[in-house]
Amino acid sequence: MAISPPIDQVAALPAQDSWFTAARRFCLGRPLGAIGAAVIVVMFVVAVLAPLISPYDPVVNDFAGMLAAPSRAHWLGTDAFGRDVLSRLIYGSRTALLVGFGASVLGATLGAVLGVASAYFGGRVDLYLQRLMDIFLSFPLIILALALVAILGNSIPNLILAIMIPMIPRAALVIRSSALAIREMPYVDAARAAGFRHGRIIMRHMLPNVMAPYLIMLTAFLGQAVLLESSLSFLGLGVQEPIPAWGLMLRGAAVEFAETAPWMAIFPGLAISLSVFAFNLFGDSLRDALDPRLRTQ
Amino acid sequence: MSKYLVKRFLLMLPTLLGVALVTFLLIRVIPGDVVELRYSGDRGAVSQEILDQERARIGLDQPVWKQFVTWLWGVVRLDFGTSMWTGAPIWEEIKLRFTLSLQVAIMATILSVMLAIPLGVLAALKQDTWVDYAVRIFSIAGLAMPSFWLGIVLILFLLVVFKWLPPMVYTPFWVNPWQNMLQLVWPALAVGYRYSAVATRMTRSAMLEVLREDYIRTARAKGLMQKLILSRHALKNAMLPVMTVVAIEFAFLIGGLVVTEQVFNLNGIGLLFVQAVAHRDYTLLQALVMLVAGMFIFVNFLMDVAYAWIDPRIRYR
Repeated sequence: MAISPPIDQVAALPAQDSWFTAARRFCLGRPLGAIGAAVIVVMFVVAVLAPLISPYDPVVNDFAGMLAAPSRAHWLGTDAFGRDVLSRLIYGSRTALLVGFGASVLGATLGAVLGVASAYFGGRVDLYLQRLMDIFLSFPLIILALALVAILGNSIPNLILAIMIPMIPRAALVIRSSALAIREMPYVDAARAAGFRHGRIIMRHMLPNVMAPYLIMLTAFLGQAVLLESSLSFLGLGVQEPIPAWGLMLRGAAVEFAETAPWMAIFPGLAISLSVFAFNLFGDSLRDALDPRLRTQ
Repeated sequence: MSKYLVKRFLLMLPTLLGVALVTFLLIRVIPGDVVELRYSGDRGAVSQEILDQERARIGLDQPVWKQFVTWLWGVVRLDFGTSMWTGAPIWEEIKLRFTLSLQVAIMATILSVMLAIPLGVLAALKQDTWVDYAVRIFSIAGLAMPSFWLGIVLILFLLVVFKWLPPMVYTPFWVNPWQNMLQLVWPALAVGYRYSAVATRMTRSAMLEVLREDYIRTARAKGLMQKLILSRHALKNAMLPVMTVVAIEFAFLIGGLVVTEQVFNLNGIGLLFVQAVAHRDYTLLQALVMLVAGMFIFVNFLMDVAYAWIDPRIRYR
């Protein structure tokens, strides 16, 4: 006997919102999140258009105009090498976004795969993976990242790697707990009964269903990754001169000349704070929108 | 209870062992060793023979597993060996700096709890009003500001307003408590702001959850004063998750101090850490990472025990 598809039930389901309507509802319902998103969009535009909008070359020294105060020529002043602070801030957004997105997307994705696999296989695999995660969770983020940078050396790809690795166990932990519930779903049983390979079940049936916690983790990581990159660069173990990076701009001369040239110390810090602030605002609102159980937080 | 305690304590050991192994291997992978680095000043002037001799002296010529076992046996006896860079016993190197960092950490904790609990409770009580929004923005800003930048801004502010510069020399607490506090309160504030932001958010959400419980409504219905409801019923129940966050953040605070100590010229654990990385001082680095990770594991253990003590259901799981 053939099973007739329940057409009337399908028709009764509400139509899927288009991206535009969903975005509009998000903006209207969560003004703080919308502000965060707007700042992130502006950052992206600035990073992409950096060569067009920055008034000076960010790496060219001008020893005649060192430590110049903000003026019409240099809106945010110049640093100890006479480089324009505004231009370095603009180009620095590229570094921040590249490392921030690179590290958090990779970290959250690898963590999600590990977390889902751990929940799916259960038993021994789960136990050993969890132990391993426990070990890595015992290291503070920055300590592990510092050690990794020392091992890998400090180019931008290595920096992304060093920030990404400590994030994996944190993502895996959260995703695993969501995936444990999904493993018990009938459609996973059905997929197993149909004889699909483990890899296919994990990638096609389980991963798409942990999208909400994944996105929440990802946005939470973004701010942390930007902060971590600036901390490492500030310690001299991250991005190297003369590449413009916000944390690097706060290193050395910015502290020494803080009294006579405070613009060098103030503006890069403001840029870091504003971007992390925007990521956190957006992430918080996204979490509220995606996961109503956590709404009170 | 004692059975649970023993079980939980034994569970700590494999993690500690794993941490030791990961630390040990991670550090050996760092290219270049301390011997090479120390003699790199007069490149070429030193023969391979002397390098080998030096390596043999500090035990770097042994097979890795042997080095690990030797080191682990030392750790078990709380003997971390001597620094490969300075040659001084590591315990001596760490002791003074650790008390300094620990003091900053404790001061930061006190500051942040004092800030977080009233703010969090206030935000929860006035949910969705401008007070709530202000507190939330204040705490999200705390998460966003890098502590080292806050440190720079604080120094700048003190310099401009009070003409005060952080002194180059550290005054221990037992020499001059007032001087010592004055020196350390600013770094404590710089790391404490972020810390308090985490705790504020937790207090707010925990309070919101508790305030919706039936027993709060009952307390209201029987006409209990708001003050009593808050202190006796709500806050007591909301404190558990807050204390957890405070404890975990405390364990990780030493890590956060790495950057802040640099700004304030404090010779603490964080600064020592950065130096150890730069000098490839394996033994010192191992000891420091073990110390920080071990602290985290131990605080976790204490939290679990406290939970089991408060909530008997956990013991039977």
